[in-house]
Amino acid sequence: MKTVWKSVALLGALLAFGAARIPYEAGLERQLCDDGLFPPDLEIGTRERIGQTSSAVALGGLRTLVATFLNLRAFTFFTEQRWADVEDTFETMVDLAPRTRYYWETGSWHLAYNAASYYINDSKLPPLRRREAWRASIVKGRNFLERGIRNNPDDWRLQASLGFLLSDANKFHAFRDPDEALAASADAYRAAAATGRALGYVKRAELYALARVAGRESATLALARRLYAEGPQNRTPTLQMLLLVLEAHENPDMNVDARAIEIFGDAQKAYDALSNHWFRTRERFPVYGVAEGLRALEKQLAIPPEDSVLNQPPPPPRGPDDWFRE
Amino acid sequence: MTAIQHQPLQGSHFRRILVIAANTFTQLVRMKVFYFMGIFAVIAIASNFFDLPQHEGPESVGSNVLRSIKSWSLGAMTLFSVVLSVVATALLLPKDVEDRTLYTILAKPVPRFDYLAGKLTGVLMLVFVSLLVMDLLMTAVLHIRTGMVVEQQMEMARAMGWPPEAIDSLRAETLANGPNLSLQGAVLAVFLRASIMASLALLISTFSTSTLFTTIVSFLVYFIGHFQADARDVWLHAGQEGEGVFARLAALLFSLILPDFQLFNVIDAVIEGQAMSLIALGKLTLVGLYYAVFFTFASWFIFADKEF
Repeated sequence: MKTVWKSVALLGALLAFGAARIPYEAGLERQLCDDGLFPPDLEIGTRERIGQTSSAVALGGLRTLVATFLNLRAFTFFTEQRWADVEDTFETMVDLAPRTRYYWETGSWHLAYNAASYYINDSKLPPLRRREAWRASIVKGRNFLERGIRNNPDDWRLQASLGFLLSDANKFHAFRDPDEALAASADAYRAAAATGRALGYVKRAELYALARVAGRESATLALARRLYAEGPQNRTPTLQMLLLVLEAHENPDMNVDARAIEIFGDAQKAYDALSNHWFRTRERFPVYGVAEGLRALEKQLAIPPEDSVLNQPPPPPRGPDDWFRE
Repeated sequence: MTAIQHQPLQGSHFRRILVIAANTFTQLVRMKVFYFMGIFAVIAIASNFFDLPQHEGPESVGSNVLRSIKSWSLGAMTLFSVVLSVVATALLLPKDVEDRTLYTILAKPVPRFDYLAGKLTGVLMLVFVSLLVMDLLMTAVLHIRTGMVVEQQMEMARAMGWPPEAIDSLRAETLANGPNLSLQGAVLAVFLRASIMASLALLISTFSTSTLFTTIVSFLVYFIGHFQADARDVWLHAGQEGEGVFARLAALLFSLILPDFQLFNVIDAVIEGQAMSLIALGKLTLVGLYYAVFFTFASWFIFADKEF
């Protein structure tokens, strides 16, 4: 009888103790979540993917350890070019350790760069399927990075990686609307700069992406002027060139050669810069006034017509149509 | 005069608990439980020297190794401390009964609470010393490796002509993955979780019939305790989710009885480079103490009039 009474009393104490601590624990959990110290719940899919043993380990509070093991496994899949397994493993890893930037960056890099490049050269598939696999892989890489950003909104490097991917001349053809991809790239770079911790190049990278979006010339020119005015650290050849062509777009009557000489220092430097820009056709940079500027500068520098850049065949704008030709 | 002043101290609960704790600590050390530290040392040192295959660009070279060292080391610490606290505590009462030491102690004017608290303190001292040694080893390895990685990265950054702001940013980011106060907080969280497990194992061992039963049930509670927060969420949000009465009651019972071990998974976030505030650590310590004190009193409640 005494044992029964004691058991009941203990159970009652256990329940009372539990009732007293639940509000405190729920509050602490919320605080830890706000501090970024509390990992999200493990998805059932993740538990299935990592297997019973690893699930037990992960549930026992060793999620990052399981992710470390999986990272080694992912490396093996990568060397064996088993892209579906690489994708699966990284999906699991980011579920286990969603705050580790390295896993988001590396997973996206495998999908958008390594797997995509593999499909360009995969001779086992017909061109149409290779093209689709290439496109799908880049889109997956983008989605993966975007998820990473949602999980780590303060991480400027993830934003910058997304900006880099979306403005890569070898990648933006994979998206239905390259203008949308370039605009999203500019947004990503802007978000990276807004964190206040990003390196200086991200502001210029935003300009380089925005300059390639049709119809955004005025906003881009304002940004180019602001960055140019910030000082010599921003006066890279690309930024100087974009300032020139956007000014030429704003004012079609502008004397392009005179302004080019003003920006680049002398006629020869201006001519070299305009020539280089003229050949960057693959990257979709605007070329307003460049041809007129080149013609005027060739006259000044007495460059014979046969040596004119304008008479040189531009490099072929190689892209998916060339890579996936029958 | 002096003798009179010392008398209350010698007869105090605190003094008795300390004596039993020291005795338990010695007893456990003689059982050669520290052998596992050799395995930990191998893990910590090997994780530093093995050049594991990684995917990394020049700017992130070595950073992942630092995360690996923390992950391996804290993982091993968690495993060792939980196993040690459960097994050592589960062994205590049956061993004292088997050696008949228990009868000798209880025949003296030693309150049963002091006996239990002393035993538990002995186990916790053992876990604390083990974690301290492992922490020192991990911090030393991490410190050395962080220095190497920073040096390597600075050399790379200078060779690539990085501006000073970029170099400083890279250095700060790498140092954040090295030894810091948050990492020590994570080790404390490991200790707190082990303390709860030890006190829980003590409670179970007061009514258990064998060491094996105590060990198995403790580990079951440990794993199920990582789902306690899920049950609590079901109970707290059951109205919105439209859960049935039975599911709500089951969730409530589950969350009232089992400890919430998921709170201590902050260790993972620290490994990932998140900083742990002192307030968060303080609140976690309170949770640990709350469980440990309650389980110890509950153990005493059962053990108080147990006959041997």
